[in-house]
Amino acid sequence: MLAGLEAALAQCGIAKEDVLVVAGIGCSGTLQNYVEANGYHALHGRVLPTAAGAKLANPDLCVVGAGGDGDGLAIGVGHLVHAFRTNPSIVYLLMNNSTYGLTKGQPSPTSQSDYSGARDMPVDPIKLGLAMPGTTFLARGYSGAPDQLSALTSAAITHASEGRGFAFLEILSPCVAYNDRYTEWPSRVVSIDDDASYDSADPAAVARMLDKQAAAGKTPSGLIFQRERGSTPSEPPPSPAAVVIDLSSRGPDYAALMETFQVRASA
Amino acid sequence: MITSTRPALSDLNVIVAGQGGDGSLTVANVIADLLREMHFNIYTERDVMSRIKGGAASAALRASRCERYGLGDQVQLLVAFDASGIHNAAERLSAGALVVYDDSDGPLPSGVLPECVDVATAPFARMAVGELSRPIYKSSIAIGFTAHALGLAESATHDAVTRRFERLGPTLLEANLRAVDMGFELARDRNAQASYELQAGAAAAKPRLEISGNDALAFGFLVAGGRFFAGYPITPATEIMLWLDKHLPRFGGIVRQVEDELAAVNMAIGAALAGVRSMTATSSPGFALMQEGISQAGSGEIPLVVVNVQRGGPSTGLPTKPEQSDLEMIVYGGNGEYPRIVLTPGDPSDCFTLAVDACNLAERFQCPVILALDQPTGQNMATIPPFDLDNVEIDRGKRLDASSIAQLDVYKRYAMTADGVSPYAVPATPGGLFLVTGNEHDEFGRVSTNAGNRVRMVEKRQRKLDQAMAQGQLPAGRCVGEPGAEVGLIGVGAMFGPLTEAVERLSAQGVSAALLQPRTVWPVLPETIEFVRQHQRVYVVEQNSTAQLRKMLVSEGADGSRIESVLRFDGRPMRAGTIVDAVLGEGGAQ
Repeated sequence: MLAGLEAALAQCGIAKEDVLVVAGIGCSGTLQNYVEANGYHALHGRVLPTAAGAKLANPDLCVVGAGGDGDGLAIGVGHLVHAFRTNPSIVYLLMNNSTYGLTKGQPSPTSQSDYSGARDMPVDPIKLGLAMPGTTFLARGYSGAPDQLSALTSAAITHASEGRGFAFLEILSPCVAYNDRYTEWPSRVVSIDDDASYDSADPAAVARMLDKQAAAGKTPSGLIFQRERGSTPSEPPPSPAAVVIDLSSRGPDYAALMETFQVRASA
Repeated sequence: MITSTRPALSDLNVIVAGQGGDGSLTVANVIADLLREMHFNIYTERDVMSRIKGGAASAALRASRCERYGLGDQVQLLVAFDASGIHNAAERLSAGALVVYDDSDGPLPSGVLPECVDVATAPFARMAVGELSRPIYKSSIAIGFTAHALGLAESATHDAVTRRFERLGPTLLEANLRAVDMGFELARDRNAQASYELQAGAAAAKPRLEISGNDALAFGFLVAGGRFFAGYPITPATEIMLWLDKHLPRFGGIVRQVEDELAAVNMAIGAALAGVRSMTATSSPGFALMQEGISQAGSGEIPLVVVNVQRGGPSTGLPTKPEQSDLEMIVYGGNGEYPRIVLTPGDPSDCFTLAVDACNLAERFQCPVILALDQPTGQNMATIPPFDLDNVEIDRGKRLDASSIAQLDVYKRYAMTADGVSPYAVPATPGGLFLVTGNEHDEFGRVSTNAGNRVRMVEKRQRKLDQAMAQGQLPAGRCVGEPGAEVGLIGVGAMFGPLTEAVERLSAQGVSAALLQPRTVWPVLPETIEFVRQHQRVYVVEQNSTAQLRKMLVSEGADGSRIESVLRFDGRPMRAGTIVDAVLGEGGAQ
């Protein structure tokens, strides 16, 4: 996962100073310490608004959010819905181990109902994303398939760097301590990347594929869905970080704006 | 002009009351326009129910020769469109007040009004329906009627109404002007006249602004170089987001209305982390939701400005009413211990100035700065002198560029320094890679639970406020009144207006008094403690039930034995009379 990210950044030719890794709280919350880049350790569940804020402030940054299934699908799931909707050009790596490892194995929102303590059906973030009309990129990788994961990470970084929107990459990463699925997942996870007939730009085709795989008891991996924004902005996004804020450059504009508050008085 | 023996009035308080949709606000606005042109200073107060439309709604304004930041205790003009307006305002009417009542729906309630007021009743709504087919024109009839009774010129009234109604198109404008004429005719026929004659003071017309605290604060943020704002709508803070959304993009800035207050505060943190001056604004319950984010900015040493335009609590509370019951949450809230600066503006001029200061202090001391307003300070409008744009300074603190980093042996985001403030670099600065975290961390930002490091980091962060105070960098308070006065009054935010008047009225009654409006409420400045020491009797005046400000001052070293509280928590604005009565022993704490 880590190697995949570093390789992808290098492959995309992005300087380390221009990268900001925003990590959540949980087992995934240490990623920023190991990537040679700017790192920020966000509050639990708040990776996405923090990362979006940094990207809006400086659109030249490559902002990579990273969090776990608890961070992104329990405490922070509201932000995920709105990230699909508002489509900021950031990468979001959701490392899904289907358990709360850091607090010693409580069930998470993606735990299967056979997991100890789990009572409910799991959240599927890919299906959640597909339900949102603003979604532009959905992919799923697996830590047991590092080459594919590296390629998907590169694709996600490229999608965001080109300003095409929110690149969501779920990474199945079993918790070896509390939810070790390394024995089960190799046969369960099926790559769709080799299927030449698969149309990842057609939401209906994607939905059919997801249903088919689910019926077969499989979890599809690969670049599941990608499309362009509904409307492409004609101008590059504003860059508040690039604005010179000293007063000499803006004095007359400020004075003109102040005049809009000025009151009439008869002579 | 008829020569008059009527007494001159240079401080007119007006209430226009009715139900939402009656046009009370329109009547008040036009009267304010007319009085403003006569060089009165204008202060307007909102008093609405928390609902989308309808409900009892009144508009209040004060036209005064002096600069006033609050309504007077007594009302000299009441325009009421229904009986509830009479009931609600009756006890505030002064002797000689004029009451204009629309009796379309029933006669004036008997036994409610004091006998010493002048009453003029007319069926405005019925006339509007009869002559102009629609009841809505009753407000313009009332405008004409009231204007005549106040001795205002018909042509000026026409001009004022035209300016307000032009945008509605010629048909509606004509009908409203016709309604104004009807009002004038009726008042002439009935010889309706106030018992007083308006007299504005200021001869020379100086340029003035009319602005709310929320708008002044938003403008200050822009001028300070603020270029990122994220927020979630909430009464009474929403205007800050609306103003910035309208103007910030033109200056290269970005405004985002986001999904909740958690997103708002963290998005502002993200933008601040990217090196942009960032702010979020909310009101009491929204501020409660932002506590974790503010604590994060304290731990991570992130320059963040948060506005809390306080409203009545607890919980959803009184969304449209004044209160100052978040002071303790603002000063002590958030988990753990971290430095923060809390500024408390008292009028629109202050909102502008302190918004600029907040942006500078946040970057200079790398900590959260909170602008604590209250509903009146945020939403009420006042006429004020123009802002001094030439003397605004922008100070980005110890911000590093590539060449200054190159001169360092090693760049450490949380380097130990004598003043507790570490030099910082923003992303994309060569050599300035950083790790920022809310976890306890070492100088490099690496998570650390080491005991010695922990103590050093806690002390480093705490040194920042000590330095800010020692260097006199925190905004000083505003003092009004006689040095060496017998009575000292202290209050923040919207208390400033009534406190100023209380000082004047006490002096007029032979009680020497002075006031201090602290503009930095946290850390408590030595000047505040000293002010308490210098006065024999001190009253801390605040809008909450538990004397939060007083307790804070005492815990920071003020002599509590000489302090009494004047408290108001009924959801109504503080008035000077309440303070004066308390000091003179004719009422005291509520």
